[in-house]
Amino acid sequence: MSTTLRPYLNAVRATLNASMCLENFNSQVVERHVKPEVEVKTSKELLLTPLVIARNEKEKVLIESSINSIRVSIAVKQADEIEQILCQKFMRFMMMRAENFVVLRRKPVEGYDISFLITNIHTEQMLKHKLVDFVIHFMEEIDKEISEMKLSVNARARIVAEEFLKKF
Amino acid sequence: MILLETENRVIYDTLNYKFEVAQSGGKQDSIEVTVADFDGAVYHLSNPDGDKTKIRVSIGLKFYKDLQDHGADELLRREYGAYYQATAEDGFSVTLVYDLTSVAKDYKPIAKKASLLKRNCFASVFEKYFEAQAKGEVGKRAVIHYRDDETMYVESKKDRVTVIFSTVFKDESDVTFGKVFMQEFKESRRRSQTAPQVLYNHKEPPMELSGLDAAVGDNIGYVTFVLFPRHTGPNVRDNTIDLIHTFRNYLHYHIKCSKAYMHQRMRAKTSDFLKVLNRARPEDKNKEKKTMSGKSFQAR
Repeated sequence: MSTTLRPYLNAVRATLNASMCLENFNSQVVERHVKPEVEVKTSKELLLTPLVIARNEKEKVLIESSINSIRVSIAVKQADEIEQILCQKFMRFMMMRAENFVVLRRKPVEGYDISFLITNIHTEQMLKHKLVDFVIHFMEEIDKEISEMKLSVNARARIVAEEFLKKF
Repeated sequence: MILLETENRVIYDTLNYKFEVAQSGGKQDSIEVTVADFDGAVYHLSNPDGDKTKIRVSIGLKFYKDLQDHGADELLRREYGAYYQATAEDGFSVTLVYDLTSVAKDYKPIAKKASLLKRNCFASVFEKYFEAQAKGEVGKRAVIHYRDDETMYVESKKDRVTVIFSTVFKDESDVTFGKVFMQEFKESRRRSQTAPQVLYNHKEPPMELSGLDAAVGDNIGYVTFVLFPRHTGPNVRDNTIDLIHTFRNYLHYHIKCSKAYMHQRMRAKTSDFLKVLNRARPEDKNKEKKTMSGKSFQAR
């Protein structure tokens, strides 16, 4: 792991740990409803200051928290066209399976590639530190996977070209 | 399978089987098969007028008219001899008829040749221009609309023959994949000395086509092959034709393959992520624990 990735992930982990203090909170607008406050944004006093942790211009994490829910949005690095396509495809693939993922948001927040929405229900049903682990694991793996996929496209292209031209 | 086959496997196998039955004196069944191939080609295998002792192989190509201008008929007559029919079956471009009552002893080459029908249709253009180049003639450019919106241009110069394909990428991401593949084609040439020069133009047609109304667009690519006499000589000519005419399909086939592979990887990775997420759920504490012998296990 490169030297800049470790502190980046550590910062994200610490922030998530600190901000994932969620409790049940009934909606102040609609009776007998519970809504994730970070999404509906009905009252200013229920929201906490959103926070951006950036490794560089392209790789960053936006953490928005509120009384009963937290939204984590991740921007994945995309160095060139092919990585952009791969990232886009991969994220779409996962978001189509959002109901299996429980914490995954169906649409990313604008400017980011993928978003997670964790509510107090999730933290009650699941272990908090493992949830944080999942987000960190996701961030680690996604970069690796995309660069591996890119390499495999290039390797394939090279073999394909060589085989074809060798025949002449 | 990295390289695509130039012959049509279905035709080859069917004819082989038919010839084999005919030779061993077995009873012939009637046949009615329609097979599709690359570049919109359609093959039709049938018995002419219900005569089971004969088998008819027809090919339908949308652009056969273009090929006829370059002597496709003569070439096919030369290649297939008596099997070639002067009038093609209704709705098809070329028809071959094989008599099953008098099958040659060595029937495999015949079946092989029949399965190369599409390739031989294409060959006429290339042969004509290779020939012209050998004589040093500068011929007019041949334009073959080998697919609905894709075109092939062949031109002979004094010292070389240039073949230009226009190809359309239906999917946006295919454009990028295509670029990566073509980049490698350009670079691989350095590693093998005998290979022809490959050029790739994206969006805009190359200079050679400036006079023609070649299509321009974001999803269009132009691939140019520059063939020198060492590729077009009489003894290597067939090999070159085999390769060149499958190039478009080869490129697209591998783009699709790598996309399929990506998808497979994403699926694996997604299920891996799910596993990690499910680890966050605490185990059910009330689950009954059993010993090896099947007795339940209880904490007091």
